[in-house]
Amino acid sequence: MVAGVEEAPGCAGHPVRYFCTAGRGLEPFLLREVQARLGATQVEYVSGKVFFTTNSELSKLKKLKSGERLFLLLKKHPPISLSRNKGKVFHEIQKLVIEEPRCWLDIVSIWKHLHGNKVIQGNISKENPKSLKRKSEEEISISTKKQKRKQILETVSDECQVEEHKNCVVPETNNNMDLWTESKTFLEETPESRTEKSVESNNHSFNFRVSCRCSGAIAKVFTSQLFVHLNDIYSVVGIPVFRLPLANREYIQTAGLRSTIAWAMASLAEISAGSFVLDPMCGLGTILLEAAKEWLNVHYLGADISDSQLQGSHENIKAAGLMDKIGLLKASVIALPLPSESVDVVISDIPFGKKFKIRKDMKLLPDILREMERVLRVGGTVVLLMSQDLHKHMGGCISRCVENDTSLNANSDSKNGAAVVKDLNPKEKNGSPRSISSSIKGVETEPFNQKITCFGSLVAVESYGVSLGKTDAFIYKYRKIPAAGKQ
Amino acid sequence: MKLLTHNMLTSHVRGVRPGAGFPLRIQATEVKVNNVDFNQEFVARMIPKVEWGALVEAAESLGHLSDLPPQLPPEYESNEDFLRKVHHVLLEVEVMEGVLKCPDSGREFPITKGIPNMLLSEEET
Repeated sequence: MVAGVEEAPGCAGHPVRYFCTAGRGLEPFLLREVQARLGATQVEYVSGKVFFTTNSELSKLKKLKSGERLFLLLKKHPPISLSRNKGKVFHEIQKLVIEEPRCWLDIVSIWKHLHGNKVIQGNISKENPKSLKRKSEEEISISTKKQKRKQILETVSDECQVEEHKNCVVPETNNNMDLWTESKTFLEETPESRTEKSVESNNHSFNFRVSCRCSGAIAKVFTSQLFVHLNDIYSVVGIPVFRLPLANREYIQTAGLRSTIAWAMASLAEISAGSFVLDPMCGLGTILLEAAKEWLNVHYLGADISDSQLQGSHENIKAAGLMDKIGLLKASVIALPLPSESVDVVISDIPFGKKFKIRKDMKLLPDILREMERVLRVGGTVVLLMSQDLHKHMGGCISRCVENDTSLNANSDSKNGAAVVKDLNPKEKNGSPRSISSSIKGVETEPFNQKITCFGSLVAVESYGVSLGKTDAFIYKYRKIPAAGKQ
Repeated sequence: MKLLTHNMLTSHVRGVRPGAGFPLRIQATEVKVNNVDFNQEFVARMIPKVEWGALVEAAESLGHLSDLPPQLPPEYESNEDFLRKVHHVLLEVEVMEGVLKCPDSGREFPITKGIPNMLLSEEET
């Protein structure tokens, strides 16, 4: 799935335990990726985080494409027990974070090792926690952009009752003195705080988040920050490995689609060396950029009808240094200037339903699919991102065609492997078309009784529900099988 | 527009007989030559996907034939010299301004800033 994994170089020292947050729906991709790319062991997924162990170096860790933020794991304990006594809860949280200074020292030395001892000089003094100075708390934010903050907040589970940020302070000072200071935690309502699901208790309690931004000179004093996450399943403490989320790609100038999702889509598309990959609605080119960075020796082509989008694509491609990998053309997805069966992979984010009125664009959908199917060679794959509404209409298009193609089920020895058609309702006796797209978990699809011309040979393989932040969407993968009567 | 991309394009004007819209004739007013790192594996893998005759014709029309033979030599995968020539033609020659002409209908598709405009009007689709 991941191209060109080398195991030997890029591994350092002894294995370290990490956890990585992932956008909703991308967890299976992240799980696969840490194993494939980092050779990770002890991989477990719990409620929005993937925990794993690896001895990979920083440069390899940085290459993770489907995760949001990566943390060094400090502690992972069972959930903090609820208590009416606020003081007791505080005490428990403090204990969770402060206890075992040895563990802190270990983590800091691991962090230093990862970052190549660039940042911190001098020795860390072993201080008894009780003698540690206490200061009023400031949450140090590495980034001053509100958007990044929201990203962190969004990836936190909704079940979080109380979240605090504590600071691991190891300042860079000119006199090479290292202080190991501890901040006092306190809960305070700030303009950015917001209420969440209420605690099950008889108090008139409300939940809020401490949010205290730190920017300018003081922000530079701190090397990193602490991340404490408490929910019903665990209490976790970690230190972010990088300043910016993994999802922020250095090579993408102007982001369109979220990079993690773009990468996930490309990872499904079965891109191999020598492939010809087309994105017929490429927009700013995010999917092609993610794919071209990972799967080399492939010819990529992006098409769009909008000049401004193409210009943006062009600039993105140039900034990423991928001019020689990705070609652009101005064309319409319903009239592609390509010969039939000339493309190995079609991959695209269908914009309809997010910005535009559904009804108008629905009519175009069969034409779009037809064109995509036409240019695709037999055995090739189509990976699409679309909204749920759009999907319902898709379900109608595709299931109707498969129903007409009775050779599908008998086609178990086709060269490209039989398409995995997960049909959850095999016993539909009412004569309505079997809804192939019912393989999507939890999504009800009904037969769509509109007259649509059958384009016959796209079969659903798998699908994933993912979160785009404000909305939800689905990634669909289809494969083109030989049409009936054509062998 | 690089010649690798050009090799994939066909005219899709309505009424053009299948296959008759390929290859598009290039009339270039501005051609750029870039320096692109040679990747032997990539070139070797692209060759089977390329319409060789069309590539030679296109290269020639731009004055960049570069000694490309009219037929593909056997066992080209290991012929580095040959692959380098192909690399040059596929990836280093770029048409920045000009026109692509449909060999059947004569319809012209403009190329601006390296991007060909293949949009058809309502009547043409």
